[in-house]
Amino acid sequence: MKLGLGTLGLGTPGLGTRGWGNRGAVHAMPIVAMALVVVLLGVFLWVLDRNEREEEAHALIKDILWVEQNLRFQLASDVDKLEHLAETLGREGGDALALAPVTRHVVTTNPAIEQILWIDADGRTVAAMPPVAGEGNGATPRGEAFKVARSLGRRVYGAPYRLPQSGSGFDVVIPVFGARGFVGALVGVFSIDAILANHVPWWFAQRYQLEILNADGTLLGAKSHLAVAEPRRSHTLAFDPPGRGLTLVATVYQTDSNVTRNILVAAIFALTASALWSLWAVRRHIRGRVKAERALRQEHAFRKAMEDSLTAGMRARDLEGRITYVNPAFCRMVGWPAEELIGRGPPMPYWPPEEMGRCEDVFRSVMAGRAPPEGFELRFMRRDGERFDALVYEAPLIDAGGRQAGWMASVLDITERKRAADLARQQQERLQQTARLITMGEMASTLAHELNQPLSAIASYSTGCLNRLHAGPCSAAELAPPLEKLANQARRAGQIIRRVHDFVRKREPNVAAVNLTAIIEDSVALLASDARKHGVRITVQGDIDGPGGTPPVLADRILVQQVLLNLMRNAIEAMAHAPRESRELGVAVEVHEDLVTTRIRDRGCGIAPEVAEKLFSPFFTTKTEGMGMGLNICRSIVEHHKGRLWYEGNPGGGTTFLFTLPVAP
Amino acid sequence: MMGQVHIVDDDEAIRDALHWLFTSREVPAAAYESAEAFLDVWSESMAGCLLLDIRMDGMSGLELFDRLREHGCRLPVIFLTGHGDVPAAVSALKKGARDFVEKPFNDNDLVDRVIEALALDAEQRARDAGQASLAARLATLTQRERQVMDLVIAGKLNKVIADDLGISMRTVEVHRAHVFEKMGVKTAVELARLLATA
Repeated sequence: MKLGLGTLGLGTPGLGTRGWGNRGAVHAMPIVAMALVVVLLGVFLWVLDRNEREEEAHALIKDILWVEQNLRFQLASDVDKLEHLAETLGREGGDALALAPVTRHVVTTNPAIEQILWIDADGRTVAAMPPVAGEGNGATPRGEAFKVARSLGRRVYGAPYRLPQSGSGFDVVIPVFGARGFVGALVGVFSIDAILANHVPWWFAQRYQLEILNADGTLLGAKSHLAVAEPRRSHTLAFDPPGRGLTLVATVYQTDSNVTRNILVAAIFALTASALWSLWAVRRHIRGRVKAERALRQEHAFRKAMEDSLTAGMRARDLEGRITYVNPAFCRMVGWPAEELIGRGPPMPYWPPEEMGRCEDVFRSVMAGRAPPEGFELRFMRRDGERFDALVYEAPLIDAGGRQAGWMASVLDITERKRAADLARQQQERLQQTARLITMGEMASTLAHELNQPLSAIASYSTGCLNRLHAGPCSAAELAPPLEKLANQARRAGQIIRRVHDFVRKREPNVAAVNLTAIIEDSVALLASDARKHGVRITVQGDIDGPGGTPPVLADRILVQQVLLNLMRNAIEAMAHAPRESRELGVAVEVHEDLVTTRIRDRGCGIAPEVAEKLFSPFFTTKTEGMGMGLNICRSIVEHHKGRLWYEGNPGGGTTFLFTLPVAP
Repeated sequence: MMGQVHIVDDDEAIRDALHWLFTSREVPAAAYESAEAFLDVWSESMAGCLLLDIRMDGMSGLELFDRLREHGCRLPVIFLTGHGDVPAAVSALKKGARDFVEKPFNDNDLVDRVIEALALDAEQRARDAGQASLAARLATLTQRERQVMDLVIAGKLNKVIADDLGISMRTVEVHRAHVFEKMGVKTAVELARLLATA
């Protein structure tokens, strides 16, 4: 099992639970800061704006005061000129014509003065400069002003009115007193438009719209007629010297500074917006990160839970063989805590001293990449000294970059499994042993007969010898042959007993290179009397006596003999009802490459189909006294020897059982 | 003159050992390796006794026994049996076998039994020979003499015999004298014993 351990170390457990409490504050901080920045900026801009407006207002007031002053001064200067003219006129006795060039000069040099009129004491217009095109404009408030001036004896400003040419204007009536008193009045018609046009400087006009309003608010004149887009700051000032409640209104135009400021504000707001956006983007990113982190943590927790709940031990080692990771199952297995194992190199604390050499060999071959993929068994030691059998699978540990970072091992405690397997094996052996005992039990009577033969012969020889001795002196030459024969028979009896004893004694299985021919001979010898009893002839044929003989096979002698005896006895019993002359049991051995096949052929009744399918099942038997384990045990023995046991029907009737054994290397 | 013991056993060692055993007691013995081999040499005139192994390759001891009985062989037969063959041996006894010996056997006891069997065989043969002469003597008797003999053996007095046969007492006495003479006996009791053995 390969796990990306590199990624597992990322999340630090515990961070999550600790971080969540402050999280709101942490997240609110930039927002609050941004809000504060926006508010402060707003306040700053507002203060700036207010200052500017105040400054503007001040400038406006200052400027308008200056303009008013200027207008007043200009007006006063013009009026002075008119008064001077009027004085001159009075001194000259009211001859207006004489003064015509002077008057013309005054009108032309003072643009504000539209017209100069000479009105006699009766109020008739005597002369005008420039001359009036049409008479009879009685609608003008000039008369009233004339009356007031005559009565007051000093100059009077008339109410504004519409000038015949264009715009509005007003009159300044200056009474003229000659030697004989009041002789008339000099009227200066001032055009408001002209005043504004000539006496308001360009820079003022650039910044403000200047208007002169009547007392009732009607517009009398303006410096410019550009419409102000929206109501702007304006200042109204009484323009009183001409009297009659005129007011001077200055309105501020849009200023350039406003544009830059607006750009600035816009820029600031744009920046704030972008800051907010980036904050949001960061937050979204963080949210994504948090989500990913949570997923990672969950994944990590899942992996961890998986590793922790695994019953197989896991151990990662780096390329030098030092332990980099162990899971809890491994710790439980060896009894050492993870922190004492991590970082340890060979020799490992769980290597038992007596297995040190083997553990080191295995370790070296693992590090060299020669670990068998099917795993290997090692004996490890727990901390308390208890030994256990471990099945270890080693695999290269590949990191995220695709490079080998070490070795990953899964370790299984197979002590119990091994114990169970041992138990099963022991039981199998016991079963085989029991089966051998049963076989011998079943063969006991024939074996007794077999043993009786040499024993009887021995008894006869010895009795014969004694008879001879009792009968009188006899020669050694006469007694020696029977005694030799007697000894042979004793050996023969011993042989039988050895075979039986070999067959039934308790022993450890011993798989080695054995001579199959000898086993067959032994088996035939054991069965000889059984066969004779049933009238069966046993023939042994095949490669046994061929050139070179049968090669030795890799097997346990007694187990193979057990198989042979079982199959041969079955064959003998199968022929119980066959005609006597055809009761022949053939044993043949063939060698094919690395397999030796043994055939046991009978001429019996064959195997019925309904029997065939259960033939190798345990506890299946066709015999009245059988246990039904024979063929089952035979098959398990042969398979234990990596061989195969099966049967075939003979063309001429009967059955052949075949089994294979591997040739010993 | 004692006959031979014929040993039939397919086990060479047993055969040889028994041969040695009998030889040691000076009992003439002949050994055969199979029932078939014995049948080859058997003839009705063969004397002695037969020691037969019950269990053999090929024809078994019992089969040989049956075969010999069919051929009218009257040799005494002793079976050699293993432990498990006792029932077969008992059935053989019922068919007229003389004895059976279980292996491993007490050898001199076996020899004794064989000697007994040989003696029996010899006696039987002698008796057979005697019976053959009796029959010949009976054949010499006339019809009337045979009638008289039967009545004598039945224990009848001469007078009763004369009445039964319708002849004179004198004639009866003459026939009686001829019978006694021809049969080689002196008294009626001897005659009765002679005929009883037949």
